[in-house]
Amino acid sequence: MGEPRVRRVKPVAASEARWWLWLRITGLLMVLVLFPHVIVKDVLVGVYRIDLEYVAQVWANPLMRVFDFALLFLTFTHGMVGLRQVLQDFIHTPSGRRAMTWVLFVVWAVVSLMGAVAIIGGVKLT
Amino acid sequence: MKVTLKVFRYNPENGGQPRYDVFHLDVDPNDRVLDLLEMVKGYHDGSLSYRRSCAHGICGSDAMRINGRNRLACKTLVKDLGDTIVVEPILGLPVLKDLIVDMEPFFQAYRKVMPWFINNDPPPEKERLQTPEERARFDDTTKCILCAACTTSCPVFWADGSYFGPAAIVNAHRFIFDSRDQAAEERLAILAQEEGVWRCRTSFNCTEACPREIQITKAIAEVKRAILTGDLS
Repeated sequence: MGEPRVRRVKPVAASEARWWLWLRITGLLMVLVLFPHVIVKDVLVGVYRIDLEYVAQVWANPLMRVFDFALLFLTFTHGMVGLRQVLQDFIHTPSGRRAMTWVLFVVWAVVSLMGAVAIIGGVKLT
Repeated sequence: MKVTLKVFRYNPENGGQPRYDVFHLDVDPNDRVLDLLEMVKGYHDGSLSYRRSCAHGICGSDAMRINGRNRLACKTLVKDLGDTIVVEPILGLPVLKDLIVDMEPFFQAYRKVMPWFINNDPPPEKERLQTPEERARFDDTTKCILCAACTTSCPVFWADGSYFGPAAIVNAHRFIFDSRDQAAEERLAILAQEEGVWRCRTSFNCTEACPREIQITKAIAEVKRAILTGDLS
């Protein structure tokens, strides 16, 4: 019979596949930013010592702003995509699901924008 | 040994109120739950309704919820359950009477994945040959007996009955990874839809419930990978 035949088909381009993949990608990348964040903020620094002055000091380094935005983007995106999957259990009509996805998108965009504005604007100590 | 058997009862012609009937039975520890049901039907209450056919774990007729878990009544021994046994219909499908559910939504999803062999090449003189390795690729998913224990243990299916469910995906897997079959692409396109494999949240309920010990969650993951990469090896 010889070597087993290599069987390949064209990958299916489906929107649900992209949602699913995006959830996995953000989940994996999230680990890279979440663990350093938790170790530094909760273990090494301690949440009770985090105040505006501390944030201003951290954000003096632009790289830390990029890091914090990545943290916000990845965790919030991951959460909203996951929430969409959970809500699909309860919303069964195509129009209901479309509306739900748009509502989640708007919430995601507004909160992400607020976070971006805060991170870019930085802390102004008076 | 003496056991207390609590059986879910529902008769739509009789007011439609579900209830539990309790039977105190003297049984052998090696009796199966199906034997207990036969005992009740034969000697206590002939109106008790349930499906059974081969009674040897092959036909898949008598899947039911036994002490909260989906099992085949004909493969579940009394000695493994203790002295109180609760028998209820499988979840997520409409109950018709007592332990009998309407299996049509389950078979509708099954039919959608085209669970039959498709090869448009003219048949060879003898059989379509396959190496032992190629046959082993989908061996696990050939074991399905369509009892619905997996699909009706799936929390996604409970919430959304239009989800294809583990059994349909398992039966699609059986043909997708068969080197002699030529319709993998069509089946993958069907399973890539909104109610297809992406609804699976890997809760592993299906794998635990399968009386044939099929690695169902693994099979679903393999179908997901095939959709994304096109790799069927």
